[in-house]
Amino acid sequence: MKKFLSLILALTMLFVLAIPAFADGGESVQDIIAQAEGMTLEELAQKAIEESNGATFYGVGNSSRGATALPLFIDYLKTIDPDYSMEFDWQQPKNNKIFDQLTADSLKDTGTFAMTLIQDGNQIESKMVQTGVLDTFIPKDWADANGVTADEYEGYLPLQTLNKVFMFNNTGDKTYDNVWDFVAEGEHGLFMDIDSEIVGKNFLYMLTEDTNAANLKAAFDALPAEEQAYFQPTIDELATDAEDLGLGENGAYALAWIKLWVESYNAQTDDGPICNTLVDQSATDQFGLLVYSKLRSVEESDSVSKNNITVAAYQDGYTGFGGYGYCHYLFVTDNSPLPWTACAFIAYMTCTTDGFSAWGKDIGGYSSNPTVAADNEEIFHHQTGGMAEDGTTVEFAALNDAGYDWWTTNGQLVLEDPEYCASVSFTVGSWIEMLTKYSAG
Amino acid sequence: MNYAAIRRNKIKTFFSKPHNVILLLMGIVLTFSTVAPIVAIVQDTFKIHPGTIDQHLTGMASGYTFANYVDLFTSRLARTNLWTPLWNTVLLAVGTCVVSILYGGVFAFLVTRTDMAWRKYLSSIFIFPYIMPQWTLAVVWQHLFNSNAVTGTSNGLLAATLGVTMPKWWCQGMFPSLMVLGLHYAPFAYILIGGIFRNMDANLEEAATILDTPRWRTMCKITLPMVKPAILSTILLVFGSSMGSYPVPHYLGLTTLSTKYVSMNSKYTGEASILAIIMMVFGVAIMLMNQLSLTSRKSYTTVTGKSGQISKIRLGKAGRYVIALILVFLTFFTSIFPIISFAFETFLPNPGDYSFLYTGNTANLTTKWWVTSENVTENGMYGQKGMLYNATIWRAFGGTMLVSVCCALIAGTIGTLIGYAVSKQRRSKWANYVNSVAFLPYLMPSIAVGVAFFILFSNEHFNLFNTYWLLIIVGTIKYIPFASRSALNSMLQLSGEIEEAAIIQDVPWIKRMTRIIIPIQKSSIISGYLLPFMTCLRELSLFMLLCTQGFILATTLDYFDEMGLYAFSSGINLILIVTILVCNALVNKITGASLDKGIGG
Repeated sequence: MKKFLSLILALTMLFVLAIPAFADGGESVQDIIAQAEGMTLEELAQKAIEESNGATFYGVGNSSRGATALPLFIDYLKTIDPDYSMEFDWQQPKNNKIFDQLTADSLKDTGTFAMTLIQDGNQIESKMVQTGVLDTFIPKDWADANGVTADEYEGYLPLQTLNKVFMFNNTGDKTYDNVWDFVAEGEHGLFMDIDSEIVGKNFLYMLTEDTNAANLKAAFDALPAEEQAYFQPTIDELATDAEDLGLGENGAYALAWIKLWVESYNAQTDDGPICNTLVDQSATDQFGLLVYSKLRSVEESDSVSKNNITVAAYQDGYTGFGGYGYCHYLFVTDNSPLPWTACAFIAYMTCTTDGFSAWGKDIGGYSSNPTVAADNEEIFHHQTGGMAEDGTTVEFAALNDAGYDWWTTNGQLVLEDPEYCASVSFTVGSWIEMLTKYSAG
Repeated sequence: MNYAAIRRNKIKTFFSKPHNVILLLMGIVLTFSTVAPIVAIVQDTFKIHPGTIDQHLTGMASGYTFANYVDLFTSRLARTNLWTPLWNTVLLAVGTCVVSILYGGVFAFLVTRTDMAWRKYLSSIFIFPYIMPQWTLAVVWQHLFNSNAVTGTSNGLLAATLGVTMPKWWCQGMFPSLMVLGLHYAPFAYILIGGIFRNMDANLEEAATILDTPRWRTMCKITLPMVKPAILSTILLVFGSSMGSYPVPHYLGLTTLSTKYVSMNSKYTGEASILAIIMMVFGVAIMLMNQLSLTSRKSYTTVTGKSGQISKIRLGKAGRYVIALILVFLTFFTSIFPIISFAFETFLPNPGDYSFLYTGNTANLTTKWWVTSENVTENGMYGQKGMLYNATIWRAFGGTMLVSVCCALIAGTIGTLIGYAVSKQRRSKWANYVNSVAFLPYLMPSIAVGVAFFILFSNEHFNLFNTYWLLIIVGTIKYIPFASRSALNSMLQLSGEIEEAAIIQDVPWIKRMTRIIIPIQKSSIISGYLLPFMTCLRELSLFMLLCTQGFILATTLDYFDEMGLYAFSSGINLILIVTILVCNALVNKITGASLDKGIGG
């Protein structure tokens, strides 16, 4: 009898353990992604309803707005099946913990997190993609809108590109009309510490890329001779380093700008405090490099105004890059417990205006789907967001967002390239770490 | 002879004594809970982490290596990544001890040994900085002293209203960090040193006075040696805590091992773990030094024989008011002003926008931070609802209460049992070991303990990140010393005869505890519950690496502070302070115990 009971128990345990492995007919997440890439959003939604009705969806991301987008997604699924329901939990870890969290979760057979919305291409490449923790899913509708196919497309799926731009307080006489002005003698721009927000470090890495370094050289050439004379010794001094680091012909210009920037910027905990500072009339002649969208949240008062700010790149005759851009990428975890639902949610955010609406209100954030971006502009009119109600009077010039196309051409936005960042992380990266950071204390 | 029967009998006798069972169980559990995380973090220093320096240096994606040690100690970045932060950390810890002992000690002397006016008010108000999260004083410091001319930011209150600009060293770096931490921990010194001053035998000082000894000599030769144990206890408590403080140096721009750990963790993961180990080594070293210097002292709050006559120094008619006024002024800035500042901040239209103060225009005030019920991006709400409607804040508040109550109940109970059991077996080596191992987590910097537990519970078997379980486990282990020390000190004052009488009457152990021992020492024991509760409410360094930002109130508060949404962080601060004061008042009303009397037992 005892033996019989033991046998029954052993068989039951085996059965229980085997359930997850065969639950999806043995399909891996990558198999599911391959199928999902050929489906429309409606077809994916159907799969998601079958998979996650009554379940709990766990997501993790660098943006808290994932928690805003998820209820909209659930509402969308309810339009297809009114009986559908799903609980959700959206986590936003700090201090780079998202990578540790995803790595720890990847050790399980079936993970907790279904998907992620994540930034910092460098760490994504080296810690998440090369290690197989995250898988890229390219929605069919998104690929169609961008004129590519999932197979052809190389790279990760961006939800949006965010820009951080140079802004200065204009209550004084000082102007900044060349990107080298921000690293001139005595300047201390407000900037989130590169050790707190790693995308800031990626921006510096990207400056050493040939196109950006050439742009820096061009901006340098546009400077008056006396200003050039201040920078020239630093550029000359770094020529050997540029060569040692394997950089292109203008590498020394990039290294010089980076050195002067790291040794001068005034580190802040976040872009919020930087914005709070710059819009105050007492911050005369201060400048910062911060997320453009922060400006939208400033309330007018006797000493604070959005009109105390000038976006450097919007000035006539401004030379050089006006800021930098980085992406929020979307991934399905390689051990996702709800891979169909994750794919459907990702498609919803990247292929519909409603799905993007959690971020759509903000200036300085541009959907990677051109159709969604255009629809979003139709709704929120960011390009004329600073105009008065009459539509002709400029009320807040800084709020008229010139848009993604302008920023990536005229604005010379320095865009993050994950592969390039990962390739120079321990060459240029280590060189940057050797620099002595400015300390106001 | 039947040796087996004798052995069985011995074992039976051993286990028939509840304190033996407690010591055995706690010894095993605490050894695991203290050693396992240390082993995990040591292992992490040898592990190769994909995408980090060790992979780059070894060319391997997994496995074990010494590369992290070699690189941290010998690379060109050794000074930046190790020696400078280490030096700053030691200076900060020493400076914090000096400030807290000087300020807290002098305050304790004035309150307990002189006839200074308004002592009751000052005594209550003095502990406020300890109630508040430590970095909130750092934020207040910035709001007061920052200026466009010096810190390159907008003007703080002093510059905006009076045009006064403070020098750089005053605004950022070492000085403000050690001042803020010193003020935060001064209540420790006040309560520990004050405890001795309150109970010390005045006969010794009086004898010196009769012998015409100069007052300074009496102070140096009699008074200070008597409070030496309390000073050492303060150092013991404050050194490790200030070493492991992350938020204060982070906000005030000082690079320490804690801030370096956070900044290095992404690219130098294994090396960052070595920094955590270095912090732990300091904790262990302090404990060993303490035991060496005070081998005969079994309790860390020494209360020597109580004298029936405590003479108070007369400060003179004017003097007692003048000195009290100075302290009222000082405590106003450390205790009252931050609260006023927090409240005021929640009515400003933009964070740090003091337009109202110099225009008097009420249009420059708003209630939007409290009453906005919609999710709006415009008007400075950053997509957040007002605090009264903000689900994130109230969910975090619920989480904080859950963690704090659980930690207080578990740590308080375990600590009390340890204190009781150790007091019963004072000469036993095992008891001393249990006592030490229970205290060790407190001496280890919070951030290092957090790191160790994160590594321990982030694997294929356990993944407790962002669960209340993890926070409760870590909080309990970290705060057991509050209760164990408090209970031990009070139990040592209790004569063994009391319990023996009950044993003779065959009163069961549970009844002895609940009807005799606990009621007699309830004040100290309740302190052992109250302190973990209060500390847990605003703990950040310990929990910041273990959960996401909206999980508990401290991480939410830190998130809003970092984001520059000072209205929200100030509002949360007010919620925390009110919660602690209400709880303290309730406990005081019901049991007679209170924080300003209870720290350290």
